[in-house]
Amino acid sequence: MRTPRLFSLLAAGLAVAISINAPAAQKDNFSVCWTIYAGWMPWEYAKAQGIVDKWAKKYDINIDVVQINDYVESINQYTAGQFDGCTMTNMDALTIPAAGGVDSTALVIGDFSNGNDGVVIKGANKTLADLKGMPVNLVELSVSHYLLARGLERADLSEKDLKVVNTSDADMVAAFQTDDVKAVTTWNPLLAEIEATPNVTKVFDSSKIPGEIIDLMVVNSDTLKDNPNFGKALTGAWYEVMATMSADSPEGKAARESMAKASGTDLAGYESQLAATKMFYSASDAVAFANSPKLPATMSKVAEFSFNHGLLGEGAQSAEAVGMSFAKGVSTGDKSNIKLRFDPSYMQMAADNSL
Amino acid sequence: MRLINRHPDRAGRLMLVLLPFALLLFAYFVGSANRLAENANDKLLPSATQMVAAVDRLAFTEDKRSGNYLFWQDTLSSLKRLGMGLGIAALVGLCLGMAAGTLPLLSAPLSPLLTVLSMVPPLAILPILFIVFGLGELSKVMLIVIGITPVLARDLEQRAREIPTELLIKAQTLGANTWTLMLRVVLPHLLPRLLIALRLVLGSAWLFLIAAEAIASTDGLGYRIFLVRRYLAMDVIVPYVIWITLLAWLMDLGLRQVARLAFPWYEGAKA
Amino acid sequence: MTQAQHNNFIEVTNVWQQYADQVVLERLNLSISEGEFCTLVGASGCGKSTFLRLLLGQERPSKGQILLAGKPLAGEPDASRGVVFQRYSVFAHLSVLDNVAIGLELVQSPLLGRLFGNAKREAREQAAELLTKVGLGHALDKYPSQLSGGMQQRLAIAQALIMKPRVLLLDEPFGALDPGIRKDMHTLLLELWNEIKLTVFMVTHDLAEGFSLGTRLLVFDKPRIDPHAPNAFGARITYDIPLNPQRRANRAVFDELPAHVAASLQPAV
Repeated sequence: MRTPRLFSLLAAGLAVAISINAPAAQKDNFSVCWTIYAGWMPWEYAKAQGIVDKWAKKYDINIDVVQINDYVESINQYTAGQFDGCTMTNMDALTIPAAGGVDSTALVIGDFSNGNDGVVIKGANKTLADLKGMPVNLVELSVSHYLLARGLERADLSEKDLKVVNTSDADMVAAFQTDDVKAVTTWNPLLAEIEATPNVTKVFDSSKIPGEIIDLMVVNSDTLKDNPNFGKALTGAWYEVMATMSADSPEGKAARESMAKASGTDLAGYESQLAATKMFYSASDAVAFANSPKLPATMSKVAEFSFNHGLLGEGAQSAEAVGMSFAKGVSTGDKSNIKLRFDPSYMQMAADNSL
Repeated sequence: MRLINRHPDRAGRLMLVLLPFALLLFAYFVGSANRLAENANDKLLPSATQMVAAVDRLAFTEDKRSGNYLFWQDTLSSLKRLGMGLGIAALVGLCLGMAAGTLPLLSAPLSPLLTVLSMVPPLAILPILFIVFGLGELSKVMLIVIGITPVLARDLEQRAREIPTELLIKAQTLGANTWTLMLRVVLPHLLPRLLIALRLVLGSAWLFLIAAEAIASTDGLGYRIFLVRRYLAMDVIVPYVIWITLLAWLMDLGLRQVARLAFPWYEGAKA
Repeated sequence: MTQAQHNNFIEVTNVWQQYADQVVLERLNLSISEGEFCTLVGASGCGKSTFLRLLLGQERPSKGQILLAGKPLAGEPDASRGVVFQRYSVFAHLSVLDNVAIGLELVQSPLLGRLFGNAKREAREQAAELLTKVGLGHALDKYPSQLSGGMQQRLAIAQALIMKPRVLLLDEPFGALDPGIRKDMHTLLLELWNEIKLTVFMVTHDLAEGFSLGTRLLVFDKPRIDPHAPNAFGARITYDIPLNPQRRANRAVFDELPAHVAASLQPAV
């Protein structure tokens, strides 16, 4: 009878090993992850300068800030429970953790893309209508895809009128050099590189749909509920960096320079990316954005797009499948299945200087 | 009895073969059940029902948007690329290996070149491949070809050198010229070795295929996996991985059978 | 054919063979008449096999020259000299029949090395006839790996003989065989030698074999040895012993017969 017992022991061990899922409860050690992007570089600075540590200490906890090279992988890791928080866009927050049943809260609304994402066609004087019948290279199912869909609406076209070719972001710039590629949709800094190619036209970008592609720090809702100090420390650290980097002072310049270096560009390059990014340097601006009725409307559009592309999962019967809650008790979608929460209360504390 | 002298009987052997698989499956489903009990929408370790539903949707239901059966379309595209890649690589590798392994005048320029080329990681020079071969089907096939041809050629060169000199001398005393010697002695000796070498590089070929499809594609098994990874659809990824494993295993089995049927002399001659 | 030509069928003049600073053979002089059965004996490393490779054309002498029927020997192996090695003499990927027929195919088809249709059938018929003669008539469709060692060497001999070479070189052909099988092979070899007008060189480690088969025994040995430089001096033929005068005489008589009579006595191969 030794074998069966050994068998079940081993199996149970293995099962435990692969199902470790940090249960939400009071705890002292937290970790969040982020990936390189203009709007998220402040996290790098906050960690490098000890600002996160300082705020964590204030609330008597530890927060580890981890940089991950692959964006989708970082969100997947967060969704699988390896991290308590992660940087991501509004659309990915809905389609990956929220649609995957991980109740998530947008703790900090950092910025929205204001030209950082764009559609580029080869050739001079092109328009959106020229996309008809063209192959378009982009990272399928990403915000680029969403941006393209919004652009096509403006030109009275639909996705059926062209051919979407899934292309890895890492290879986008090289891909654009080949003859097979006629048009791309991508984000900065790749966009800047591609726009710099002679004889191309940028026919659409995110500044035409301001406030729809939003960059967030998303945290696990249960963890946040049980550990409000975690939320307070992260928010406090963020707005300290915001104040520093937006200042027109030598310290501000030094902060931006350090972020530029960490993202692999120089100050000028980084500032041109920031120019296409609407940063909410002040917490009250971010709170105002979160409180506006435009946010629920935007998220409904994103949910619609996601549902049409099968991103809400198999169980989803409609775009309403995943419920979302907003400030002032507003909610959209299935109220019994609220998985994505835009909660401005921590940003409000920052605005009130009560952190 | 010492452990080294204990052999499993037939039934015991079968059990021992199945045991690790059963353990893996059991661990997976226990883990899956645990996670799903905690969060019914968990995507990381989908249940069997979820995976069956995903397979049913992809393989046996028309896709809403394109009207295709995605699973089969992906499989067909991938196998086509893989087949072309392997075929071209086998042909080129055979010619290069045979030339370098038989003719000393060609061995001098070819051998060091092949050695160096087989060390180049093709994935690292992808942008160059794009510029040269474009982003279409050609570049996907070429990635496989570039990835495995030098390995095949080197192996076959080595095998060609292992043909006993006596046989090459004998063929010359039987009136062979260089060309007919290669055609009737070297080539038949290398063909079964080629099949063995192909079986060994099958894994790399799949790797290059999936990498190629992840980079720029509109269909294929690798494309689907990387696409749905964007929303952590493990219910699709796990069946696809199992399917790829099965296809690779079947191809290995197929090559082994071909070798056995087409070269019946080979097994005996090895002894 | 005059006696003079006979005596000079193979003419070895002052041949040296040397690799780097190692002298293997030195000052070899030899004259072999057609139809001779030479057995080459000597200690290991005494250059017997090197001499055989020189005759085969696999190596070229460092000094001196070898004439075959009055002309310099071709510097690479060709169809004029057949060879049987101790191992690896037959093609594992061809059936017994094709192992022999391939010689005819290679000669007649320099482009593809392969015959088709009638030509192929004729080549196979010819091969099958020879194979029957060496006792492999029952195994035409088998692969060499399915044959015993002795059978494989029979096949190797048939393969060489289908080319009708004037010289047959044997490098310890029976070295790996059991004594009983070896005896059968001796009988077969002598039969074939008697039937076909063939000059044979056979390297052997077995002195008894050398004595009983040959009409001429060549002993290779190093006459000079410098203990400080063991490679400085090469081997020579130290003994050259005529053997089996009876067989030699028979052979000579046979050669004296008028050509048309000889032809009628000599079975076609």
